[in-house]
Amino acid sequence: MTALLLTLLLIAQVQPAAGFDPPPVPPLAAPVSLRAFDTPNDQGKSITLTWQPGSGPLPEAFVIERTELGTGAEVVASSPPDQAVFRDEETQDRRPYTYRVGAVSGSDTAWSNPTAPVMSSPQFFNTTRVNVLAAMVIFFALVVYFIETARRGKSLFVRRIAGLDAVEEAVGRATEMGKPIVYVPGLAGIDAIATIASINILGEVAKKTAQYDSALLVPNRDPIVYTVAREVVKEAYTKAGRPDAFKADSVFFITSEQFAYAAAVDGLMVREKPATNFFLGMFWAESLILAETGATTGAIQIAGTDSVFQLPFFITACDYTLIGEELYAASAYLSREPLLLGSLKGQDYGKMIILAVVTLGSALLLLSGLPAFRLFSRITDLFTTG
Amino acid sequence: MKFFQTLLRIDRRIIYLVVAGLVMLPLVRPLGLGVTSGPRAQVLFDVIDSLPSGKTVLISVDFDPASMPELYPMMAAVMRHAFARDLKVLICGLWVTGPGLADRALSEIPPEYGKEYGEDVVYLGWKAGVDAVILGMGENIKSVFPVDYQGHPLESLPMMNEVAKLRDIPIAVIFSAGDPGYRDWIRYGQTRYGLRVSAGITAVSAADAYPYLQTGQLTGLLAGMKGGAEYEILVQKSGYSNAYMPAVAAMDSQSLAHVVIMLLVIVGNVAYFATRKRGA
Amino acid sequence: MKRNIPLVVCLVMGVSMMVQFFVPHPVSVAYYELTTRWFRIVAAFALVLGTGSLIMYHSDKIQRKRQGWFYSVVTILAFVATAVIGLGWGIKRGTILQDVIFSNILVPLNASMFAILAFYMASAAYRAFRARTKEASLLLIAAFVVMLGMVPLGANLPFRLPALVLLTVGVAVGIYLAVRNQNWRGVLVLGLLWVLLGLAVRFLFAPRFGAVAEQVLSYPNMAAKRAIVLGVALGAVATSLKVILGIERGWLGGGKS
Repeated sequence: MTALLLTLLLIAQVQPAAGFDPPPVPPLAAPVSLRAFDTPNDQGKSITLTWQPGSGPLPEAFVIERTELGTGAEVVASSPPDQAVFRDEETQDRRPYTYRVGAVSGSDTAWSNPTAPVMSSPQFFNTTRVNVLAAMVIFFALVVYFIETARRGKSLFVRRIAGLDAVEEAVGRATEMGKPIVYVPGLAGIDAIATIASINILGEVAKKTAQYDSALLVPNRDPIVYTVAREVVKEAYTKAGRPDAFKADSVFFITSEQFAYAAAVDGLMVREKPATNFFLGMFWAESLILAETGATTGAIQIAGTDSVFQLPFFITACDYTLIGEELYAASAYLSREPLLLGSLKGQDYGKMIILAVVTLGSALLLLSGLPAFRLFSRITDLFTTG
Repeated sequence: MKFFQTLLRIDRRIIYLVVAGLVMLPLVRPLGLGVTSGPRAQVLFDVIDSLPSGKTVLISVDFDPASMPELYPMMAAVMRHAFARDLKVLICGLWVTGPGLADRALSEIPPEYGKEYGEDVVYLGWKAGVDAVILGMGENIKSVFPVDYQGHPLESLPMMNEVAKLRDIPIAVIFSAGDPGYRDWIRYGQTRYGLRVSAGITAVSAADAYPYLQTGQLTGLLAGMKGGAEYEILVQKSGYSNAYMPAVAAMDSQSLAHVVIMLLVIVGNVAYFATRKRGA
Repeated sequence: MKRNIPLVVCLVMGVSMMVQFFVPHPVSVAYYELTTRWFRIVAAFALVLGTGSLIMYHSDKIQRKRQGWFYSVVTILAFVATAVIGLGWGIKRGTILQDVIFSNILVPLNASMFAILAFYMASAAYRAFRARTKEASLLLIAAFVVMLGMVPLGANLPFRLPALVLLTVGVAVGIYLAVRNQNWRGVLVLGLLWVLLGLAVRFLFAPRFGAVAEQVLSYPNMAAKRAIVLGVALGAVATSLKVILGIERGWLGGGKS
């Protein structure tokens, strides 16, 4: 009996009871595969580090240590445990640095092997924009080709744009009624393409008003646009052989404040009761205010903008609307200059190429969702830009 | 027939009176139609709600007084949320008309939560140049704004010791009524410095922001007064604020305004077809 | 000479800025920053020109006592007063310019002008939204769906009934055309489609107006906008190229070659 009890006690001592001894803690693993390289496509002073967390539990954080030759090591940053990339943007170009990344947990740090010396430097070409360069070259080539084609005398077809055909009729209406024409060249500055397009049309309209002896009023929101518009109108009157008919105060600056400008133009339209209103250029929220006020005065209204938000308002409130690029096509359409028509043609072919690329890209993107066609995602990546 | 012709020629001022009356009515006597929060406002709310205390939210005031009724209530709601969560708020702007509006928010909202200027909120002011400002802030905020809007050096403001550049900011909420706006913050701030961007915008430009939501470039979106009302409701339901909710109050008016415009379109079409038929 | 110098400047700056876009080197970035700074300086000086034009226009109107000359007096007085107050007393919070002119005059005036849009939208909608064509009818239906779906009043309304009505009307029109063309197979297919889709809408597909409005805005509306934006972007590139190469010279004051 005693022997049995002793044996049982011995077994109880030898076999530990479950849950009393904690499992061994795996050691903190240092990051591996640490790479340091000059950050590509930048203006220098930047080195990028990538690494893989070591096997074992994730640390609390990673710390990045930088050593410059000749000076000591310093910890430059820390990153959260789920981030295995860091960009050091405080380096000096053409100075060698080495890096270590440490996995930190509590008071322990496990350091990776140091990298080879690496230097940062600026690049001369942003390789992520090669696709943009290629697209630009193709597009420019198309435009130049069609300009040359037009120069050689080939006639190029451009479809009818109702709003531009109505310009002559609109100016004639103002002359018959003896009322002025109000031309609003948009509210953007001269750097906006829509403003440049509008100024081109202003030149043509001013030529017609000079020929028909109609009054033209051009209120401006931007001071630079005001100076350009004044010169354009003056030049148009001179070209039409009527420099004496040009009135300097027919082109004027009102204010740079958006709604104050809209209120002023509304007041002008209500007082002067123009026969024709042109709203061509870049517009924002004031578009409907201008167009609806013009509609109440009974004027014929021709509008054109490249702002997709304001197009619905103009289409509702105006008699003719030039949608988007029809505004840009105006100078070519009105003047029928071969060079301008040629560039319009090049633009259209560029659009067809884009349509084809969009269709193909959408199909590839859909297919790349299937495991067997993952390769196609690499093709679609070619179209991303940095 | 004459009735329909009269309808077609109705004086605009009668239409304006009808619209004005129906818009003002709910402001005097709320209809209580209620506002439920949408998924996009919820995303932004959750992100700000999950930020650890002491982190800084960047707010960019990129609108003018004309867009104030739509954008100011949502900006106030976001600021209240941030202060209630003990987050710091850093305000700047790309529009020259922004400072007056930011100033107003500063005088109204921080005192509600006992927040001190310089410690919990700093207003940098407006600076000309869009890309230069954002890119400069990406490198070093103090290089772009050496002093704040009131002329205090940034070094003297305790809050600015924690925030040196855009990478120190977990989220930026851009309240923009046009350009420059959230697109510039995405183009320069996010692409270059990984800044997380959310936006509060006017209703008319909401559809334009959807592609950015789909690609993940925008984290949540507050679109128009409805977006502002959704955020106000979220902030109130979470117990962060009991302040008056102007966007929620205005939603009844907006509902009626939409309905009256639809009715006007229907009446106009009925009158048009009635007179056309008889005329033909 | 007067025309050639601006053209040369335009060509050089245009090409250099294009090259700058592809070159990340600090010299290139510094050049870009210098150019944008110069642009802002030029724009600031141009404001002087614009202000001069404003004063001259209104002074002339006052001198000749043209119709509404009194408002020109108000304009010039307001202009002078704002400038004097801003320069004399500053522009920060607590100053007259901030508290009176900005907060109590400019802000309410701007907000009022923006608010006028709501009334103008109502009158424009009443005057111009006509279902003259099939496309216009489709546009009106989409507009109604979005308008109802974007406000609390309609956002939670079930879309089932309108969807059934639309489905029935669409199928009825299709069946009518099929019967007219004696296409009996088409009639059968449309009938089956109506039953299947109707059952799906009735029992499976239960969106709200708000959700349908979001879909309309996110997909067909977005597709149309993107198409216009693509065209606009290409047009902008082509116009920029024409301006840089001197083919487009309207901005100079006329003259094309």
